[in-house]
Amino acid sequence: MKNKESNSSPVSFKQLPIGYEFPSVSYELSASVITKYLEAVGEQPDILKSGIVPPLAIAACTMTASSQSFTVPPGSIHASQELEFLKLVPIGTTISCSGKIAQKLERGRLNLIVLEINALNQDGEKVLTGKATIAAPD
Amino acid sequence: MNEKLKPSDIHQGDSLPSVVKHVTQQEINLYAEASGDFNPIHIDETFAAKTPLGGTIAHGMLILAYASEMMTKAFGKSWLEGGKLSVRFKAAARPQDTITTSGKIDSIEFKEGISYVNCSLECCNQKGEVVITGGAVVKLQ
Repeated sequence: MKNKESNSSPVSFKQLPIGYEFPSVSYELSASVITKYLEAVGEQPDILKSGIVPPLAIAACTMTASSQSFTVPPGSIHASQELEFLKLVPIGTTISCSGKIAQKLERGRLNLIVLEINALNQDGEKVLTGKATIAAPD
Repeated sequence: MNEKLKPSDIHQGDSLPSVVKHVTQQEINLYAEASGDFNPIHIDETFAAKTPLGGTIAHGMLILAYASEMMTKAFGKSWLEGGKLSVRFKAAARPQDTITTSGKIDSIEFKEGISYVNCSLECCNQKGEVVITGGAVVKLQ
């Protein structure tokens, strides 16, 4: 996945306040990215063989693109995920991502970061929204 | 259960079509390339061996894709443009694990002429350990 825009160097998530909005980033859901994605996740239902992007592919690419402005320590893991799929997305669509740090919590030796993400198509329509919780070691 | 459900086909308590997948390091590496998530815990075996996890693990979103596949099989387009899910990643899935994704219809609600199907779902490894658990809602088109 290659971003069309990316801004400043990433900083540690600890430096970013709750409410911090990620710089706008866009990327293309190209045929080569989706082919690779489908190889990774295996055989898919017929409806996804007609040029429609699996929604989890959009979610994964949007999370990666949105979180490029900050770093988490190696060994951080995904703790929970909420997603809502709003529109069909054809292969070749350019997705614009927006998002923010919704929450930061401490649980013992873990830092929990809650990210809100939104993905819009080139017509400005929201196609996916979600919330991810990342658990980062101290 | 058919590839795509119609409202009249759906009943509380119905099972969703399960999905069984074998996880490999090669697929994890491909997933990293496709998603852009190169966290070393997924792809660097030397690094991962030194962590409390003791080895590489699959991306949570890779395993969650199996759950979305199950929902797509069950609900087709309705899932792709009207699905919601909320899950917890309970345990790591590792290379060579076999993950079975299953689910069932917990309830069906009708609001303003639209059917909403509430489902529970689970991804378990070959030892029966729960890797992902949660729920999903589908607005039937």
